[in-house]
Parts: sequence; C-alpha cells; structure tokens
Amino acid sequence: MRQVACPRRLTATRPGANLQPAALAFAYLRAETVELARHPGFVVPTLGFPALFFLLFGRSVAPGQAAAVTAGYAAFAVFGVVFFQFGVGIAQERALPWQLYLRVLPVAPWQRFAGRLGSAVLFAAAAALAVIGVALGCGGVSIGVTGWLRLAAALTVGALPFGLLGIALGYLLSPRAALPLANLIYFGLAYLGGLWTGPEGLHGVARRLSPLMPTRSWNDLVAGAVGAGAWRLGSLAALAGWGAAFALVARFAYRRDEARHFR
Amino acid sequence: MTGAARAEPVAVLDAVVKRFRGETALDGLSLRVEQGEAVALLGPNGAGKTTALSLLVGLRRPDAGVVRLFGRDPRDRAARARLGLTPQASGFPATLRVDEIVRLVARHFSDPEPAGALLGRFGLGALARRQTGGLSGGEQRRLALALAFVGRPTAVVLDEPTGFLDVEARRLAWAGLRDYVDAGGTLLLTSHHLDEVEALARRVVVLSAGRVVAEDHVPAIRARAGLARITLACDPGVVLPGVVRSEPSGSGIVLFAVDPAPVLQALVAGQHSLAGLEVGRARLEEAVIALTAADGDGGGPG
Repeated sequence: MRQVACPRRLTATRPGANLQPAALAFAYLRAETVELARHPGFVVPTLGFPALFFLLFGRSVAPGQAAAVTAGYAAFAVFGVVFFQFGVGIAQERALPWQLYLRVLPVAPWQRFAGRLGSAVLFAAAAALAVIGVALGCGGVSIGVTGWLRLAAALTVGALPFGLLGIALGYLLSPRAALPLANLIYFGLAYLGGLWTGPEGLHGVARRLSPLMPTRSWNDLVAGAVGAGAWRLGSLAALAGWGAAFALVARFAYRRDEARHFR
Repeated sequence: MTGAARAEPVAVLDAVVKRFRGETALDGLSLRVEQGEAVALLGPNGAGKTTALSLLVGLRRPDAGVVRLFGRDPRDRAARARLGLTPQASGFPATLRVDEIVRLVARHFSDPEPAGALLGRFGLGALARRQTGGLSGGEQRRLALALAFVGRPTAVVLDEPTGFLDVEARRLAWAGLRDYVDAGGTLLLTSHHLDEVEALARRVVVLSAGRVVAEDHVPAIRARAGLARITLACDPGVVLPGVVRSEPSGSGIVLFAVDPAPVLQALVAGQHSLAGLEVGRARLEEAVIALTAADGDGGGPG
C-alpha cells in the first residue's frame, strides 16, 4: 500500500522544541487556580476557617499579644493550604485519570509542579490575608511595614517544610487513610505548636511537648517577625532541619510510589 | 536530531516483556506501526492491550525488549510531541470549562489547532463555555476524542475511542478519524467492536496472553471472523464436521464453525443431546483466536 505523506511531517521538524516553558507552567497555574476557585467546598473552608477560628478563639487569648496571635493564625492558614492542597493533594491525585493524561502530554514535571506551587502560593496568601483582615478589623493589632514584610518572609520559610510533610504523607498513605490521618496531624501540630493559643496558652503535657514541634518553631519565627521577641536563629535552624527530614521522607515515598505505578 | 526525510516507524515494540508481581502481562510482544497506517489492537481482557499502550506512551517501561516512539524512548517527552492521546472521559476537572481544557492541552504543542475550530469539528462548539462536570457521558467522550487532535499529531493512540457514543455521534467520529488517516495520519486503536475496527483500521493485530497471535489486513480478518458459536450443555464427544475449534465451558462445550448447519445436522443424525443449545455469532476476538489456533494445528482434520 502506498504511504500517504503526512502533511504534519514537513512542519514538525522540532519534536519537543521548547515552546515557552514558563508559559506552559503558567497555564497550569491558571487552570489549577481557576478549577479550585470555582469549588465552594474548597474556597470557603480554605479562606474561611482560619479567619473564623481567629474570631472564635484567637481574639480572646493572650491580650496584649494581638500581633503575635495574628501571626500564629496566619501561619495556621498557610499551613492548611500548603499541607492539604499542595502536599497531600499532589500525592493523592497522582493516580486520577486526568493526572495520568497530563503525565503523558509533552510537559516537564517541573512545569506541572511550578503551576501547582504557584496556585498554592496564591491561595495561601489569600487565606493569610483573610486572617489578617479580620484581625485588623477587630483592632488592637499594630504592625509596621517592616513587620509585615518580615511576617511574609517567615510565613514563606515555614511553608516549605509543611508542604514537604504533606507530600510525604500523601505518597506514604493509601488514599483512604491519607485524609483522616492528615487531618489529625494538621490539627495536632497546629494545637501543639500554639498556633491557636500562643505558646503561653498551652498547659500540662501540651506545654511540655510544644517546643519539640515544627509548628512551634514556625510560631516563634512568625511571632518574632511581628515584634514579639527577636528573630531567633534557633527557630530557623529547627525549621530547616524539619524541612530536610520531611524532604528525605517525601523523596523516599515519591520514589517508592513511582516504582509501584510507573515502573 | 536531523530532519531526515526517511519516514521512521511511528511505533516499535521489539520482544517486549512486562511482568506485574510475577504475572506476565507481555510475553515477548513485537509490534510495528508505520507512518500512515491504521492499526487496531484486539484481544480479550487481560491480553496485554492496555499494558502495551502504557509502554508506548511512556507511562511504564519494559522489563526486557525495546519500545520506541518516533525512534525515541517514549519516556522522553520529546518523543510524545507529535502524539495525540485521549484521557479517560470520566476524569475531567469538573469545574473547568470545555474551552479551558482545550487551551491547557493546546499549550503543550508548537502548532495547535485553534480551540474553536477543533470543538466545531467534534460537534462541541455550542458547549465551549460549559463546565465539564455538566457534560453528558457522550459529550465528555467527544471532548476526550477531540483532545487527541489538539496538537495536530502525526499519530494518535486511542483506547476504545467511540465505545460509548450513540450511533449518530459514532458515525461522525468515524468520519473524522477516517479523514485523519486519509490525510496521512497514523492511527493505533484498541476496540472490542468489530464494526468500529472495520470502519477505522486497515490492519488488525490480535493479542492473547501478551503475545501477537494473529496479524492481518481487515478484509482477511473479516472473512475469517464470520464464525458461528454453538453452545451445548453436554459435550457430544465426537468430531463434528465444520468445527474449526472447540473449548470446554463448564460441563458443556462451545464449538466454533464457519457454517453451523452441518454441525447441527450431524448432532441430530448422531442423536446427541441438544440440551442447552445456543447458536450465535462469535465475537471478533473469539473468532480470530479460534482461527489462529486452528491454523496452528497445521490444518489437521476437517
């Protein structure tokens, strides 16, 4: 049989020619953000819960520490986004048909990853701003421009280890077990880190355990950022250590999962 | 890579072995698809069709043997730049609109077809602004099919492309796929439907237990596929005229024959039990496998 010349062959002489790599990553960011933004079941809890928690519990604890408590709740808001949407979510969705399809399209893993990361940053920022907006509305919070910038930096630094922790858990656990257990860890770490009460608000066993928690280091860092106590190198070092540990577990779990599904 | 004019094969699987937890999914499978071909992969469930496709699109790698897509390892994403694929139709992100999905996929390719034109071609123009969660099953199926063509691919790989479409939509889709092949595109599909294979494929490759058991052009397969399937509750235990293959089924037996009449006449003449008698057409895979086994016997009795 005669072979018909394929018209495409003449023009497609650059297989895999890099289009605009950043544009594709941006397309992923946009699609992910739009997709999530249209889910009320995602948007309302993500943006609403931390702010609501602040209204219910944060306002009344530790009078005179309004700035530090606000920073703690902002960290709690960022924690939720990077841990669930970015971390556990990325791992849990990997076997969905749509993700498998994206996987076989000509896209580099970093482009999909960057899109996901960018979207998480947007939602994390929105959730933190919701808390801060409520806190400012309630009054009593005065943080200078430098303080806000320092807080943004401290929130970003702390987000890394908890995103990695989410990825590690998502890949380690079965889809069924992941969400309940992730919730337990999320609320447990938030509480023991004093993100809801300030470290002074913890008592008994919780008070003794708190200094061992990665969330406590983060709490100290963000509180220091808004002026309640100095920046302490110790908190930063502890967060870096946790980040390295979570990264190792995440890498192990990711590789194990890859070997299982895409061997 | 050089832009040599020599047409490399689109897909090559050479003596590919793939095992999952001790189970052999592909057992030395060799397959070659040239540019401009339209090839259908057939076989019963578990024959290795899906595994073969997953290797070909780079989702998995072989335990032994070689897999090449446009001359490259399919795990290299550059190999997939000229390949069109369909997602599973059930899995679109529910809140994204049809045109948003098409634009995201189009971003992966250097010269995509404009979303409007593509959607029009697949009868989805009116649904462009609809969120995919609100589409009917058939509409999702059409969108999945359309996505294979966004990047103006040199070859498309389709797994059961039109299985769940209604008759009208299927004819439309077939026409589109035939146009694509006529224009020089390469098509590799799996299907359970004889009519779909006849409409789209020029060559058929039959897999069984991870190997190729038959390979032929469609008219030849069609001639061989017209088998009758005769089920009996009791095995008559004799050689019957015209039976090309038999296989036990529970306590009974299933017979395959080109023409069922002489078989039934012989059963009646021999006063064999007709309990549980059913006569129907063999499914394409059954027919092909039956014939292949019969060929393998060296054309023995009959």
